[in-house]
Order: sequence, then structure tokens, then C-alpha cells
Amino acid sequence: MKAVLRLAALSAWSRRLTLGLTLVAIALAVTLLLAVERIRTDARQSFTQSVSGVDLVVGARTGGVQLMLYAVFHAGAASNNIGWESYRALASHPAVDWALPLSLGDSHRGFAVLGTSADYFSRFRFGDREALRWREGKAFAGVFEAVLGSEVAQGLGYRLDDKVTLSHGLVEHGPEHGDKPFRVVGILAATGTPVDRTVLVSLESISALHLDWIGGAPLPGVAIPAEFVAKFDLRPKEITAALVGLKQRSDVFRMQRFINQYRGEPLLAVLPGVALDELWQAVAMVERTLLAISALVVLIGLAGLAATLLAGLNERRRELAILRALGAGPGRIFLMLTVEGVLVTTAGALLGLGLLTVGSGLAAPWLLERFGVVLATRLPGSQELALLGGVIATGLLASLVPGWRAWRMSLADGLTPRN
Amino acid sequence: MRTLSLLICLLAIALPAHAEKGHVHGEGSLEVVIDKGRLSLRLELPLDVAVGFERAPRSDKERAALAAAQQALADPALFVPTPAAGCKPEPVRIAMPTFDGNKPAAHADIDAAYEFSCATPAALKSVETTIFKSFKRLYRLDARRAGPTGQGAGRLTPKNPVLAW
Repeated sequence: MKAVLRLAALSAWSRRLTLGLTLVAIALAVTLLLAVERIRTDARQSFTQSVSGVDLVVGARTGGVQLMLYAVFHAGAASNNIGWESYRALASHPAVDWALPLSLGDSHRGFAVLGTSADYFSRFRFGDREALRWREGKAFAGVFEAVLGSEVAQGLGYRLDDKVTLSHGLVEHGPEHGDKPFRVVGILAATGTPVDRTVLVSLESISALHLDWIGGAPLPGVAIPAEFVAKFDLRPKEITAALVGLKQRSDVFRMQRFINQYRGEPLLAVLPGVALDELWQAVAMVERTLLAISALVVLIGLAGLAATLLAGLNERRRELAILRALGAGPGRIFLMLTVEGVLVTTAGALLGLGLLTVGSGLAAPWLLERFGVVLATRLPGSQELALLGGVIATGLLASLVPGWRAWRMSLADGLTPRN
Repeated sequence: MRTLSLLICLLAIALPAHAEKGHVHGEGSLEVVIDKGRLSLRLELPLDVAVGFERAPRSDKERAALAAAQQALADPALFVPTPAAGCKPEPVRIAMPTFDGNKPAAHADIDAAYEFSCATPAALKSVETTIFKSFKRLYRLDARRAGPTGQGAGRLTPKNPVLAW
């Protein structure tokens, strides 16, 4: 048996080029399959982790998912704002426990600027109801003070007391609010949520920035120096959205109806968890299609493996005949061929897993920046292991074909002299 | 950022405003709230699903159909919470649509509220419904849920009549 294994290994080595290429094909197919699965689960995970303990997200009337995207993920733009008076009315509603105003629209070197109240730092929850933690410093207290998310601080190398200038709009090179720099007063610990990529300032600071602006551009000839803004009424006129927590969970659907039928202005309230589930329902079809396509690619790879082994049989007629003549039974030949196929599949699957780990490590920062998806480097989950098992089982099935063919070859097959 | 905007646009097209569900024949909606030991369900059923018409009843047969629908909905066993949670049903509250004289009615819904008090709410993991057996015209129930473990949405159908979380 040992001799047969040794001969089989040597035989495989002599065919290393074809087998190697087949292995690479299988590895790439497996990487694709696992990547689709991992991005699917991690995208859900990171979206779900981003907001916790919020009963309702309230904004102007658009789509529920759109509202979620800009209010929670700071992605995309609001089509409309909600009036400060409506927000006040909502926040003082007897069923409402707390409310956080959110004002978006400015940016700092590609990172979103969020105007909110100082309560945000004590109220906001992510993941499993975790509170925000400080890496250093404290919450903003006055105008022109900023708190940075961990990634903003790290990526741009900011420390406490540094000065930052915000830009108008969400483009990287929008008009600058250069005359009113902000002082960094606090830096938050990493959360793995969009908060990491956010510059937080007070609502009053947002109003102060735009005192001498009209229609998205500075008023020509009017410049209000930073030290005089305190003399103006800095109460916000409108905000982009609000996060709302209720005193009693049982009020949530009633409150949602109340907000959606609010008489003051057209508002939209969504339950964040419900909106995300509805999003998953809507993209489930796309996910299934992607998964099916990558499963097909794996099948093609394995069919290639079977074809390579089958084609190899013709070249190896003589080799197999000599093995038979030396005393290897047909069962052993069958086993040899099948094991070779399974080993190539397993090696391909493991290589694919390795490629996925390296690839996800490389792609993670980009995915985080572009899509807010946190791609964790971790051991394969149960779903991924099931997929890997499926690939190896299919590889076994595909290897049975050449094994069976070799088994059927007669003893004398390779020994008859060629014409 | 551009790719992201594209994604958002696609989503915005794919998903019209979901918050306020309109009146869709054949589809009902279900709101599920779990708060402390109480499980509250609020069902909204288009009248068409229940009796096959959406106007004031015109014959004895139609009046009987309305009464039968009301009676079927009044059964708290229409919804079965996880048995381990030990939930006891309370009287069902039903609001039948009112018909305004001979005015041609637009749409009409039946509202029904089901309340349970549960001994071990932590064991509450699902609600199953038998409503599809009583109302053959109903092919979908869009469920939205808020509970101690978070919020979620689900779709109940005759083939999958369970909302689990």
C-alpha cells in the first residue's frame, strides 16, 4: 500500500503543471464562493450593529431605506430637511423618552460631519447596546468644538487641540468654511460603525458656520468673524433627521403612525430594524443569484478537475497497467484516482480559504470606506464550513468518474503494443 | 462615494416608501410588540380578503359572511406564541369597518387586536398563525416586530405561517 501511495504521489508530481492549474482554478472558484457568502453575512452584521436601542428614525418623507442610509450610515443625501419646530414638538411628545437631532451635509476631507446635541455621546448605542467610549478628551460644549470618530483621528493624524476646517457639502473639495476652524476637544474609541468615520459637532456650530452663507455659497461682502457668532441666534432652523427612543416599546407602531400623519409637515418614521429586514428581503434575490453563480463557477472548476483526470487516464494507460501487473488490484487503482481528485479539491478549497483571508484583509479598508461594511478577519463560520464541505463532497463525486473509468480498464489495456 | 450613491439610487428605486403600507388586496399586515410580559398583535385585514367584497353588505348571505369573518377573527387561537413562553390569551378586540349609508366605499379594513400575557417572555421566540386556513383569499401577511431583542420584519404565507426571531 505504501509503495502504491508513493508511486501515486510521484505520478501526481510528474503531472504537476496540469494538476496545479486545476488546483488554481478550484481555489479561485472557492474564493469567489466564500467571498460572496462572507460579504453577505458581514454586510448584514455591520448594518445591524450600527444602531441599537433606537425605536424610531424620523426624517423628511422619502423611502425608509434611504432615510436609514443617511441618518444612520451617513451615506447618500437627504432629499429634504425637517423643521426645528416639528422636531421640538416630537421630542416633547409624552410617549417620547429621548430624541437626538441629526444635521448632516458638511464634510471634512471625505468624512461626514454630524451636527447633534451633546446627549448623543450618552444616548447613542451600537452593537449589543454598547455605549460610546472616549479614547481621550470630552464632549463638545461650545461652538467650534469638534469630536472625532476614531478613524478620522487615526486616518488624518489628529490629536486633541488640533484645528480642523470643515467643507460645505459632501464632496472632498467643496467650498471651505476656512474662516471658522474647529478645535478638537474629544476623540471617540473605535466602534466598528459609521460613527468612526464621523466628525461630531454641535447643532449651534452648524448654524454658526452658515450664518454668512446663503443657498450653499458664502454671501459676497459679508463675513462674520468667528468671535462674533455668539451674538447671533444660533438655534437651528432645520435638521436632517432624528433618532427617537420611546418610554414604552408598545407605543412604537402608534407613534410611527402619529409621525407619518403629522400635520405640521410631511414626516417619515421608520423602525430601523424593520427597515433593514425589508432591505434584506429586497436584496435576497440578488444575493441568491450571486451565490448560485459562484456555486456554478465551483462546479465548472470541479468539472475541469474530472476532465483533467480523465484526459490523464489515456496518458497513464501504461503506468496504470504496470501498477496492475505489479499486483495492484482494480479497487486500489480506483482508490488511487479518487483520492488524487479529492486531495486536489481539498487543497484547492484550503488555498481558496487562504486567498479569501488575504483578500479580505486587503479589501477591508476599502469596503469600510466605500460601503461602511466591516469585513472581519476571522475563522470561517458554520455557513462557510458547510460550503467548503459541499465543495469537497462534490469534488469526491467528480473524482469517482475517472476512478471508475480506471477501474474498468482491463489488465492488459496498456500493455498491448501500439500499432 | 460615487459607487455608494449608485447603490443608494438602486435601492431607492427598488424600495418605495415602505413605512406606510397601502391597502393591497390579498395582503394583510401584522404588528407584533413584545414588551415585558405582554405580547400584543395588531392585525389589519382588507375586507376583501375576509368576505370577498368591500362595501356594505347587500344581502343576507353577505351579512352572514361578515358575521362569520368577525367570529373567525375573534378566536385568539388564530395566533400561537411559542408554547414554552406560557402565554395566555386575553379577549380579542375587533373593529369591523363601518359603512356610510349608500356611498360607494373606497377601501375597508378589519382591525383586530390580540393580547397575550406571558409567564416566561424570555422563551418567546415565534408566533405561528392559522389565519391562512380560515381566510383562503389571504396569501400574505407582512409582519413587523419590535421586542426586547430588537426589531424585524417578516413575511407570513400559507406555506410559511411562522414569524420567528
